Amino acid sequence: MAHQWSMVIDLDRCNGCEACVAACHAENNISTVGEEQAALSRAKHWIRVERYYEGEFPDVRVKFMPVFCQQCDAAPCEPVCPTFASYHTSEGLNGQVYNRCIGTRYCANACPYVVRYFNFFNPVWEKPLHLQLNPDVSVREVGVMEKCTFCVQRIKAGEIQAAAEKRELKDGEIQPACVQSCPTKAMVFGDLSDPESEASRLAALSRGTKLLGEVGTRPRVTYLQRDSWHGSENT
Amino acid sequence: MPIPPVIYGLFPDPESAERGMNALNRAGVSPNRIVVMSSEPFDGYSFSKMDHATPMPWLAACGGAVGGTLGFLLARLTQEAYPIVTGGMPILAAWPTGIVTYELTMLGAVLTTIVTLLVTTKLPNWKSKLYDPEVSDGRILIGVLEPSDASRAEIENRLRGAGAVKVKATGVRP
Amino acid sequence: MAAKTPEQITDDLLRPMSGLSAPYVLSAAFLAGVVVAAGCAFFYQVYAGLGVSGLRTPVFWGFYITDFVFWIGLSHAGTLISAILRLANATWRRPVTRCAEVITVFALSIGATFPIIHLGRPWLAFWLFPYPSERGIWPNIRSPLLWDFFAINTYLISSVTFLLLPMLPDFALIRDRATGWKKKIYGALALGWTGTPKQWHRLETAMHVMAIAVIPVAVSVHSIVSWDFAMAPVPMWHSTIFAPYFVAGAIFSGIAALILAMALLRKFLHLEDYLLPVHFENLGKLLLVMSLLWFYFVFAERLTSWYGNESSEMAVFWTTQHGSYSTLFWLMVFCNFLIPFPILAIKKFRTITGTAIASFTVVVGMWLERFLIIVPSLSHKYLTYSWGTYRPTWVEITITAGTFCAMALLYMIFSKIVPIISIWELKAGLHLKPQAVRLVVRENEAGAD
Repeated sequence: MAHQWSMVIDLDRCNGCEACVAACHAENNISTVGEEQAALSRAKHWIRVERYYEGEFPDVRVKFMPVFCQQCDAAPCEPVCPTFASYHTSEGLNGQVYNRCIGTRYCANACPYVVRYFNFFNPVWEKPLHLQLNPDVSVREVGVMEKCTFCVQRIKAGEIQAAAEKRELKDGEIQPACVQSCPTKAMVFGDLSDPESEASRLAALSRGTKLLGEVGTRPRVTYLQRDSWHGSENT
Repeated sequence: MPIPPVIYGLFPDPESAERGMNALNRAGVSPNRIVVMSSEPFDGYSFSKMDHATPMPWLAACGGAVGGTLGFLLARLTQEAYPIVTGGMPILAAWPTGIVTYELTMLGAVLTTIVTLLVTTKLPNWKSKLYDPEVSDGRILIGVLEPSDASRAEIENRLRGAGAVKVKATGVRP
Repeated sequence: MAAKTPEQITDDLLRPMSGLSAPYVLSAAFLAGVVVAAGCAFFYQVYAGLGVSGLRTPVFWGFYITDFVFWIGLSHAGTLISAILRLANATWRRPVTRCAEVITVFALSIGATFPIIHLGRPWLAFWLFPYPSERGIWPNIRSPLLWDFFAINTYLISSVTFLLLPMLPDFALIRDRATGWKKKIYGALALGWTGTPKQWHRLETAMHVMAIAVIPVAVSVHSIVSWDFAMAPVPMWHSTIFAPYFVAGAIFSGIAALILAMALLRKFLHLEDYLLPVHFENLGKLLLVMSLLWFYFVFAERLTSWYGNESSEMAVFWTTQHGSYSTLFWLMVFCNFLIPFPILAIKKFRTITGTAIASFTVVVGMWLERFLIIVPSLSHKYLTYSWGTYRPTWVEITITAGTFCAMALLYMIFSKIVPIISIWELKAGLHLKPQAVRLVVRENEAGAD
């Protein structure tokens, strides 16, 4: 049976450090856009940490929520792309094929999580920063949409390695950059089709919720939180 | 293309043109030798009714059916040629296929209508010399193609009697 | 008008085509200048990237898609007037049909450029066309943008032919009066039309069939354009009312554009004897009906949202009622309803000037309506952290202005090349009236020939 990749984020562990954001930029060749463009809301943080405050000082509660592509089973971004640049893979991921993208940006509008990003300009890495580019990940040109891929290059590399060594993949062997970098181990990546995996175990907990589950996108990502005060429905 | 032999009268208004037409009918000229030209349709006068019923609407419907079939095939064959899963929808999604089929049905109907019009009226026909620019000034041309030498004078009289402002002839043999 | 002979009518309607006055050339030059500026802005955008526009996360569609929907909507002028009035046999339509059909063709052509203008990689726009590509892949039929592609192309082909076919007899008329190279060109365009009963009968039958065919096409076009929005789960987009709402809005803006065009043509081409107050009266009444219909749709949509009280929808709702978009929203209501309604409802105000003023405000209001459908919803989606704003840049403003100038310029050029009022249709209409009398006379005269 094909792997069904998913992630579980424990919001009760997340402290908002944003190491995941930095790791994602480094791993996936995401350029920084500069101060002016960031002020125009054009930063391309494939994973972003949303901060929500409740209450008045000194009884302030803060919640940090890393939001990234939820790899929805009924992704609204997929049917609307005229060139099939956004499609669903057999492993349950929402694939973004940069070469097919002509930049209609319909997928970005359809995404209720606002996790799709557009290259408004050609990305720039001033020398010598170009040396940090990851050779396993393509660099996207102007006019193309991009988004979190669950580090599909790492998934593919892991699968190829396991196949070459003629063995099964071990749970936790593949880790996207954000999962790898999280200091509080708030993020877990795993195979839902394997009932023994950590991801499957955590996704079944009573603390599990789906972000914007009521919209009908059937997201693959489960958020664990004690109290659901953002308004997201339990599964 | 040489000018065909014809004798015709130019009438100033539809009533006199109608009289001219009736005069030619009474003279026994067969309808397929009568030529009529006008700058307006003049629906309601008998001289404008010289055409049999056209199956154009039915042809348009057939064209629509052909277009619809092509539309459905386009949707089906292209989506099944390289099947890609999107949003949990089936590869051949019914509603979108229906929309594309519908649009190409209408396009088929429209294109068939235009082609039928051009083919049955034999347009474009830039070579035909059978015309008089005075038609554009509002005159109605009623005439007889290939009149026999003997009947020319009689036709001319009848046309003038009905009210033709001018009578012209082409291809007069000496 | 009864005093004019057919020759006078022909002269009057061909006169605008001759001569180039100084005001004409100067205005055409100005309009062309703006269009060229818009072209430069577009090429700059292709060169530098879409970042030169005001688009950003989460408002990925802004002025360009507003313009797209606006122009496609405006193109519904011709359909209503030519097709529906033809089928209903409304005799007053005759001087108006070609003006309307021309608006349709040009507005549609302009609107159809926007799916290319707004692309991130416009040089690949041809990938929307279903052709066997070397990549082995075909376009995604499930995407509403593909439905747009088929619908707009079908409508464009239908409208162009609906415009061109009745031009054949008028081209023949010009051919017969012209000399030299003009005669050759119009002769070619007239396709050898001679005006035999067969040609007339077939032409009128073809027009009738096309009038029936083009109405469902037009309805489908704007429904499909509305589904670009309604198919996405965005607050206040995902509504079943969008298709009829947009079609009604399109017809509304189309009639307004037609009245405006007619008012300007009447003044600048001296067509006072042909575009009569009764035409503006009748179109004004239709505009009034559409204004009421527009109000009804907006009311029904907003009532349902307000009553449903779904939190993400209400965020968008309030931002248009009281919040950052409220100025534009109330301006839109003012332009689409509060000004036109008294002008069009009160007979004393339903004059040519009155209807033209009402139409102008409607055109402005409908552009605002498209903007307010797109931007407030995109800037207030489900997750409050991702809310944003939008402000257009000079690139988008120039391109938008360029399209309005392009429309005016195309219209000006067209009126010099083709008679803007269909001469044969107008004359044919004058002859229909005696028919009722004529039949009665024939019965009495049986055998009198």
